[in-house]
Amino acid sequence: MTGGRLHPFTLLAIAGTLPALAWILPAPAGGAVTTAVALVLTLTPGASPGLAGTGSSPGWRPGLVVLRTAVLTAAPFWLFLLLLHDVPSTIAIGLRLTTMIASVVWVGALLPPGRLVEAMVAAGWGVTAAYLFAAALSAVPLLKARAQRIVDAQRCRGLSPRGGLGRRLRALRALALPLVLSVLHEVDERALALETRGFVPGARRTPLAPPRDATAERVGRWLLLVGCAAALAWRLAWRG
Amino acid sequence: MSVRLLVLIPAAAAISLALSAAVDAVALPLFLDTTGTVLATALAGPGAGIATGVLTSAVNTLRNPTFWPFVVVQVIVALYAWLAARGGLFRSLKTAVPAGLGLGVLAAATSTPISYVVFGCTTTGGIALTTALGRALGLPPLGACFFGSFVADFGDKAVTFALVTSVLHALPRRTAARFPWALRAVGAA
Amino acid sequence: MARLTLERVSFWYPAMGRPALRDVSLAAAPGEVIALVGNVGAGASTLLLVAADLAPRVVGGKIEGRVNFRGRGKGEGGRGIVLPTPWTQLSGMAFTVWDEVAFGPANLGWPRERIAGAVDRSLAALDIGTLAARDPATLSGGELQRVVVAGIVAMEPALLLLDEPTAELDPEGAGLVWRLVRALAGDGCSIVVATSDLDALPEVADRVVWMEDGVVRRIGAPALLAEESVCEAGLATTVADVWRTARLGAPYPLTVAQAERRWRQ
Repeated sequence: MTGGRLHPFTLLAIAGTLPALAWILPAPAGGAVTTAVALVLTLTPGASPGLAGTGSSPGWRPGLVVLRTAVLTAAPFWLFLLLLHDVPSTIAIGLRLTTMIASVVWVGALLPPGRLVEAMVAAGWGVTAAYLFAAALSAVPLLKARAQRIVDAQRCRGLSPRGGLGRRLRALRALALPLVLSVLHEVDERALALETRGFVPGARRTPLAPPRDATAERVGRWLLLVGCAAALAWRLAWRG
Repeated sequence: MSVRLLVLIPAAAAISLALSAAVDAVALPLFLDTTGTVLATALAGPGAGIATGVLTSAVNTLRNPTFWPFVVVQVIVALYAWLAARGGLFRSLKTAVPAGLGLGVLAAATSTPISYVVFGCTTTGGIALTTALGRALGLPPLGACFFGSFVADFGDKAVTFALVTSVLHALPRRTAARFPWALRAVGAA
Repeated sequence: MARLTLERVSFWYPAMGRPALRDVSLAAAPGEVIALVGNVGAGASTLLLVAADLAPRVVGGKIEGRVNFRGRGKGEGGRGIVLPTPWTQLSGMAFTVWDEVAFGPANLGWPRERIAGAVDRSLAALDIGTLAARDPATLSGGELQRVVVAGIVAMEPALLLLDEPTAELDPEGAGLVWRLVRALAGDGCSIVVATSDLDALPEVADRVVWMEDGVVRRIGAPALLAEESVCEAGLATTVADVWRTARLGAPYPLTVAQAERRWRQ
């Protein structure tokens, strides 16, 4: 089974439904089931790097990498939960958090950002939402690299993570200010570049490779939503 | 929405997420992950600020899934920053830092119920540890949780406001004039 | 009929008292290549922004005079500008080079087949077909500049405005861009290029515009780049400059070929 062929919206619906059910269904059985499903899903990565830049060639190995990422992200929460709560609460909250972490790590590893953007454009969302999402996603690694270059340059000029609070705050200012100002200067150039390439906020553009959205998948997404609503209604009635 | 504002929003969100590199370099217990939200609000108003906050949380969620529920805090920060900008509190550090401390209290009060209900107060290592400290000091669970969030947010938001004020004053007039609220926020128009 | 006409255009950036352009008049015919030369602050970049309908519409500021642009056919073939910093010109919405080049055509709402044809032609023209599947964030400065030029060329503009299009390129890449400029002009595209690659202009430009402090000082054939006053301003070709420095006598040759001929005489 490979989830890579599913429509991006279907993947997101699954990743959203699992944590929702983990919270709705009674603990700990509900959380145990959703955690199990989410962890099994992490073993089914796609063939390309996803939103989070993880996941790669097909086969079982990348699946294990995604599973390991999910488990390692969730582990500290269990530790702290145990520190702060009794065992039944730790298990109840821990299973919910693990479901949430595993679902998002899974979809992050599986869904290439380009496919999600295409799906948004093809669904007629206009370019605005797709642009916001894609631009932030592609800007973060570039800005982090730039921040690191500024840090390295200031280290050469004697920046050190020691010294009193005042000195460190001044050092932080010397690092953050050039980064933020450079980004604001570029805003104008980026706006000009987008304008000249025919980008109009809210306009519809041609989707370059619209992902296939089968009727079964659309029905499936509705069923997930209905399932969540039904579980919630049942839980509320059962409680009351 | 103009293309310039549309470009500003993801750029500001990326600032929030990239500043962690600078924070790590000076070894201070700060997040600065609402800097872009405050900055976008001061430059372009509450709509741009809220959009930046939601986008920051969305992108952050892909890296650390536990961030999504705190999107509410980002929205509160944008609204508070808007009031601060309207009130002229970004005109000098003397007004910006107290305003940031006020936001710290508000942000902690907003994030405490989320952290308590969703995560059992284990959001991040630092907050979990201060919460444990609060418990050791004899605080009740919710109180300890607020204590943990408060310790994390109080200084963070003050530094965020101070940083945004520095940026607004360092911005050349020609650049600032291109954002609808920038000059008014620093009292230059 | 001129494709682009500027009549006595002056332009002020927002919050600036001094105009960046003063009383500039210029016309570009279909198939013509016009080169803008001048030192920093001469106004060449501003002129391109005005011609691209980005100043004052997007940049803000104030304009006086008339700017007139005639597209091709039934409103098709607009104007496109390549700005000098390639890394700020990526769309941010494309995760491969192919998608990046297709960004403009997709915004124009072309059908997919037409987009594919235009993108492939454009990639081939810039000799970057092998980069098609790469992530734009991983490219070198030179590769990036080729991708940005390809992204504008793929939109099949009737008026192409280039601001230092070869600044990030090695001589081979620069030669490629200049050949492409001539080829596009051959297809009827009007091109205005601001460049400091003066040695390329005798082969590339039909006319040269010398700008200083926002004013057009001279307009003429590329031979302008060997005249005494232009040499003094530091805007001559290398050959003319060397000839002048060596005091070999006016008129100065413009190119190596001309210098060789003069030398043999």
